[in-house]
Order: sequence, then C-alpha cells, then structure tokens
Amino acid sequence: MNRTQAHRQHPPNAKSTHETMVDGHVTITELEKVYESGDERTTAIEDFSVTVPSGEFLGVVGPSGCGKSTLLYLVAGFLEQTTGTIAVDGDPIDGPGTDRGVVFQDYALFPWRTVMGNVTYGLEEKGVGKEERRATAQRFIDMMDLDGFEDKYPKELSGGMKQRVALARTLAYDPKILLMDEPFGALDQPLRESLQDHLIDIWRDLEKTVIFITHDVEEAVYLSERVLIMTRHPGTKKTTVGIDLDRTQPREELVLSDEYTATKNDVWQSLREETTPGGER
Amino acid sequence: MDVTRTVGLDRNDAIAAAKSIYSLVLLLLLWEFVAQYDMVHSYFLPPLSDVLATFYELTADGTMLEHAYLTFRRAMAGLLLACLLGIVVGVLAARNRIVGWFWDPIIEVGYPVPVIALVPVFMFWFGTGDLPKIMLVAVGCFWPVAINARNATREVDENLVWSARMMGTSDRRLLRRVVVPAAAPGIISGVQIALPIALIVTFVFEMVAGGGGLGHLEIQGVRSFESAQVYASLIAIMIVGFTLDRGLRYLRGRLLAWT
Repeated sequence: MNRTQAHRQHPPNAKSTHETMVDGHVTITELEKVYESGDERTTAIEDFSVTVPSGEFLGVVGPSGCGKSTLLYLVAGFLEQTTGTIAVDGDPIDGPGTDRGVVFQDYALFPWRTVMGNVTYGLEEKGVGKEERRATAQRFIDMMDLDGFEDKYPKELSGGMKQRVALARTLAYDPKILLMDEPFGALDQPLRESLQDHLIDIWRDLEKTVIFITHDVEEAVYLSERVLIMTRHPGTKKTTVGIDLDRTQPREELVLSDEYTATKNDVWQSLREETTPGGER
Repeated sequence: MDVTRTVGLDRNDAIAAAKSIYSLVLLLLLWEFVAQYDMVHSYFLPPLSDVLATFYELTADGTMLEHAYLTFRRAMAGLLLACLLGIVVGVLAARNRIVGWFWDPIIEVGYPVPVIALVPVFMFWFGTGDLPKIMLVAVGCFWPVAINARNATREVDENLVWSARMMGTSDRRLLRRVVVPAAAPGIISGVQIALPIALIVTFVFEMVAGGGGLGHLEIQGVRSFESAQVYASLIAIMIVGFTLDRGLRYLRGRLLAWT
C-alpha cells in the first residue's frame, strides 16, 4: 500500500496517512444475504469477508447479477444482512449513517431542490447554520465545476452534471466512506474519463475510503488501489488484485504502459472465468 | 384531460386560448341562429342573446354573485376538507403497513361509488343546509385525492428515501422532508381531478335540497318556466368551474416549477 501511496503523490506531510488515520475502515465478516419471497430463497451474497483499510480505494468488479449492488447497499445500511457483520471502525453498523455516503448510478438528486439545495441538504440535517452551510456547499460546488448552476433544478442539468451534483452533495456532509454504485455507468466515454480523474483528485485530497462498484474492468484498474473480483451467483469474493501503477504519468501514457495492460489482463481473465458459459446460470 | 398542463398569465397564452375556441364560437352562433328563427321552441332553447341579457340582469342586481358565492364556498370548503384528510390518509396508507391495511380496501371500494346516490341519505341525516353539502363534497373528493396521494407516495423512488436517510434524516422527518415533496406532483393531480367532483356534488345537492347556490337558481328557473335563467345559471357554473380549474393549474405551475 505504501508504494501505491507514493505514486499517488500524496503531499509529504500526508505520507503516512494510511497508518495514522483511524477513521473509515470497513470490516465485513462472513456476510450472507438471502432474499426470500414466498417459498423461494435466493442467495445474493454468501461467505463474503473483506477488510478495507482507512483511505483505501477498493474497486469491486463482477459479472452482472453477482450481487455487487446488494453488497454496497448492505454496507450502506439500506438492506439488512441475513448473517454476518459489517463494521465501520470496529462498530457494527445499524442502518444508514452519516459516516457513509452513497453515490447512486441514477444520481438520486432531490428534483424539487436546486443544486444548492441538494448540496446543503446533509448540512441542514446536521444542524449547520445557514451561512456556514452555504459556504461549505459552495466550496464543493466549485470543486465540481458547477459554479453558476447553484439555482438550477436537476431537470435542467445533463447527466454528467447531475452526477457531479450528487458527488458534491455526498462530499458536503463529509462521510468518511464513499460507496459508489457504478456512478459513471450511464455517461459517455469522455465524460466518464474526466469524472474518473476528478474522483482520483478528490480521493487524494479528502482522504476518503472508497468502495467503487463497476462492471468496467478498465475503470476499476484505472481508479483503484486494489480490485476485488466477485464470483457469479451467489456473489462471493473470488480474489483481490493489488494495483501497482506509476500514477505520475498522464492518463494517455498510463493506459499504454505494460503494467497497466498486464494488470487489466489479470483482472479481465479472472472475471472472464466467471462470465463465460459453463458456469451455471 | 391532462391535469399536468399548467397555465401562465401572459399575452401569448391569451391569444392562443382565443384561437383554440373558434369551434365553440361557431356553436354559439348556431345556437343564436336556430333560436332566432324559431327552429326550436324558445321555451326549450331561448336565443343566446336573451340568455346573455338575463345573465347580465342577474349579475347586475347581485343575485348571480350571491348564488355563485354560495356554490363556490360549499365546493371549496368540501374540497379543502377532502384534501386535508385524503392527503394524510393516502400518504400514510402507502408508508405505514397498519394504515395501509385498514384503508386500502376502503379506498378501493369507495372510489367507484357514485357519490350523488348519497344526496338523499345526507339530507336524511343532516338536513338541507350548508353542512350536508360540504360533507358530501368532502366525501366525494376524498377518494380521488386519497388514491392519487397513495399511488404517488408508493412510486416515490426508494433511492431518494435512502439518500435522505444516509444524510441523517430521521424516520419521523422523512415524510415532510422527502416523501411528500417527491409525491407532490401526483398529490396535486388528485386535487385537480377532485375539483369537478366538488362542483358536481354541490350543484346537484343544491338542485335537490335548495338553500341557494347556482344549482338552486337553475332548478328555480325550470320551476318558474324561466328558461333563460336556466341557461344563465349554466353559464355561471361553467365560468366558476373554468376559473377554478385554471386557478389550480396556475398554482400547480407555481408549486411544481421544478418538474
């Protein structure tokens, strides 16, 4: 982890953040999620354990329907596991909490609130005063290049802008852990790439723990420090692959480098075993 | 009818509205023509000009406004009552299992009942004054308001609720902060659908039970062989209905600028 960290160009004084930070580590132990409807029992997640240290960027890839989103919603506290525990900083979670922030694929912005209204929502719920609320929100609106759009409603924004608002909204109330459910899946390639780079900057500056769900191997390898590959139905952890890339180089060089290609190929091979026919559907 | 179409108040809208009623103007001219040349007996269909003259007389001496106000007041009071109860019941039926368990069957059975059939029953119970009229309007309007509020609440995107909860909104505040605003377009549609029901119930009740109001004025015209008064009352109720409908659309546009 130290190696990647150096490559991520942490400022010198933050060099040992992973060791000193105690906030935001996630421990998942023998997690199982069974959906029951009538007599039918469908196991979505089975025998799933993983530890995500503070400040790590963990990518999660898996074949569609493997329970990636279920996993994320369990960690978010939206769903309740059948057995097993999920703990944040050692404390088992009990429902949703402001220590975790989800970024949804479909943005889930409040359509009746303006951009400013959406970004200040979490701060209102925290009881932050009006002046401070607006100042904080403005900081994240600027960070997301949304200045000038404060008074627009979500319906007036493009998909990429909506997702930036959603990200600003989640960052504004300062959760330690970001849970991202294919957040860029609905966006076109150039937009997706620019938001990916934006996200790396944010992750580096704000020192969040990130669990990033995607079905896109390239995206996972490009963003993550470690990629977790899930098996197909029922979803369980197949393996994790550490990503060690020289991040000092610009994107266009990085994606052509041998390490990148090799790592991508490893993950892709591992995932392919799960998606090719032969495994039961 | 599309209740989601909103109206503005500028000049272009007025011109567009005028353009959209040319067929109506043609029909009114036909009415005048047919009546003037006695193709239909003037007792059944007095010339439009006579009707308008009567309308003017009744308006000038204050009679029309007095009756229109009675009808308006009853319809609005009943509708308001229905909105208060219907929105609460509808939203809670969708969000709370026990409330839903109790109200769902009642709403399903109550919605299609022709509420006019209850006019005699309400006269029997509450007499012929304002009270039975307002109550029956409330009963008639309750169903569309409640059913639309319930359905709109059920369809609120779960991700919005989850978003609010992750940002620290308590269960108690969830309704006010997220569920009701998210369901507002559907809730307001229910109110718009209930509006004509409020007018119909008021009008019919006034015809049957009297006590003033435009329905009373119309049936009085029949009883005293004043057919122009019948049609004048009809025009008045159309104006009241049209104005209220436009008013609600305007309100919708203001409240739901974000849709």
